[in-house]
Amino acid sequence: MVSLLMKKSDEFDLEIGEYKLRITNPKKFLWPEDQITKLDYIHYLIAVAPVILPYLRDRLLTTIRYPDGIHGKSFYQKNRPEHAPEWIETQYWRETNYILPNNLETLIWLGNQACLELHVSFNKYQRERFPTELVFDLDPTDVENYELVLEVAGKIKEVLDSLGLFSQAKTSGASGLQIYIPITEHYTYDQTRKLNKFIAEYIASKNPQQVTLERLVKNRGTKLYFDYLQHWEGRTLPAPYSTRARKGGTVSTPVTWDEVKSGFRPTDFTILNILERIKNKGDLFSSITTEKKEQSLDELLAFLEQKQLD
Amino acid sequence: MHTMWKGSISFGLVNIPIKMFSATEDKDVRFRTLHKECGTPIKYTKTCPICDREVQNEEIVKGYEYEPGRFVLVENEEIDAITPETRKTIEILDFVHLEQIDPIYFDKTYFLSPQETGDKAYSLLREAMRRAGKIAIAKITIRSKESLAAVRLYENCIVMETIFYPDEVRSVEHVPGLPGNIALNESEMNMAIQLIENLATDFNPEKYTDDYRNKLLELIHAKIEGEEVQEAPNVPRAAKVVDLMAALQASLDATRQDKKEKGKGTASTQAAETKEPAKKRKRKASL
Repeated sequence: MVSLLMKKSDEFDLEIGEYKLRITNPKKFLWPEDQITKLDYIHYLIAVAPVILPYLRDRLLTTIRYPDGIHGKSFYQKNRPEHAPEWIETQYWRETNYILPNNLETLIWLGNQACLELHVSFNKYQRERFPTELVFDLDPTDVENYELVLEVAGKIKEVLDSLGLFSQAKTSGASGLQIYIPITEHYTYDQTRKLNKFIAEYIASKNPQQVTLERLVKNRGTKLYFDYLQHWEGRTLPAPYSTRARKGGTVSTPVTWDEVKSGFRPTDFTILNILERIKNKGDLFSSITTEKKEQSLDELLAFLEQKQLD
Repeated sequence: MHTMWKGSISFGLVNIPIKMFSATEDKDVRFRTLHKECGTPIKYTKTCPICDREVQNEEIVKGYEYEPGRFVLVENEEIDAITPETRKTIEILDFVHLEQIDPIYFDKTYFLSPQETGDKAYSLLREAMRRAGKIAIAKITIRSKESLAAVRLYENCIVMETIFYPDEVRSVEHVPGLPGNIALNESEMNMAIQLIENLATDFNPEKYTDDYRNKLLELIHAKIEGEEVQEAPNVPRAAKVVDLMAALQASLDATRQDKKEKGKGTASTQAAETKEPAKKRKRKASL
């Protein structure tokens, strides 16, 4: 139930159910090269809400605001600002009053704040120590070399298959790729770190010319960085279907393993064409919440723990 | 760039919130020291020669040697108590001309950039310093150490150079063998001046490279390419992980095979057994 009420100077009120939201500067270009306005962005959020909300709900939001578009000043926002409407749901965690991006009206409000990137925690706030997925974050040092990202992702997929783990990939929307392994929601970050580190070390030692675990960018050369440290409490990754503040309006996009094999560019998926893709292929990311949700890591962790004691 | 420090520049009534970044980086090639015989990185241990044993960190205290063999002991808490409070401010004291500071005083350089709310004040100070042609002397605290600093412009950035306190710069008087006034031959002098003028040029830093470092890196890369590589025993992390993965895959295959075998007899319950109940039983055992 969304209805418009035009006001002076392009501002207008958007009524969403019982809530009323003032949309300011709707014609401002947020992605100027692509002529994407704030109104376009809010339209996108409304259209994508049914598929994005399941991956935002109950998670702690870190957002990046670009009030003057992607080339203007930007800032990270974790705390709920004072001027936020009182119906914005929040959750205190470690001295920060995080916004919970739980519904359409919150999304629209974020859109009006020019929050162009929506990054969320790996866990839901109710289960603060337990991530919902095990996630690998691949970050190329040479951003032009996406072939390397795809090749290494393929190798990781083979390893995961050999361990009997189902996995789903998505682009970061920038130059990286992330692999999500849905797990039973009772493994702590310490446990997932163990497995993440083990697989990272395995991939790096099998492919020393391609993959590095080096934290300092200057020491990475042109290798791909397997960032196993990102998957941790308090840290975030862009939610699937979140836009990124980059030329082209790229979107963090779930991809199939067949697509990883046949190749694509992360810039292929943008705010301008992602809805069409969702219409044709459905929400590919839903794979992590369907029948594969309850993957056990017990055997793997037991094995690693036992080996470490030896 | 990695933010080292957040704080503010205080300048009269103006307070400029800033972030600080290291302006220079050391590119020296670092070596580790190995045991020649087996290639293991050597380990340093702290020992007490009298007790003839290794000493643990918690057994170590700080002592100031005020005369040979005599110490006063100073506890960490006592040091903390007199450590200057980290107010994290760059407090501007005076403005002077850069030429008045001899380069001998300069220690380390940091870039300063404004924090979110500091844009305007930052630009104001930058432009005012540019127009006045002066640089600031400031007092700063980094990592609980108070130091003196010069705040100046470098291209379009405000930079801070930590400078030594006057008593940290040694006196030239103590340099041995400096000649006094020796009578010099005027024609030799003219020749020397001529030579200087012939070599005179504009300073162009790109021209100078660290030849030693480049040669050292070439040497190292040639050895890596030629596989002239020494691997440490006991620390072959790479091989270990690969073996571990192989063992893990084998063990998983075995358990799966096992499950299949078991399932054969009772075809009707096979699905149930390989799904939930099997997992749950295991989970209980390991948690």
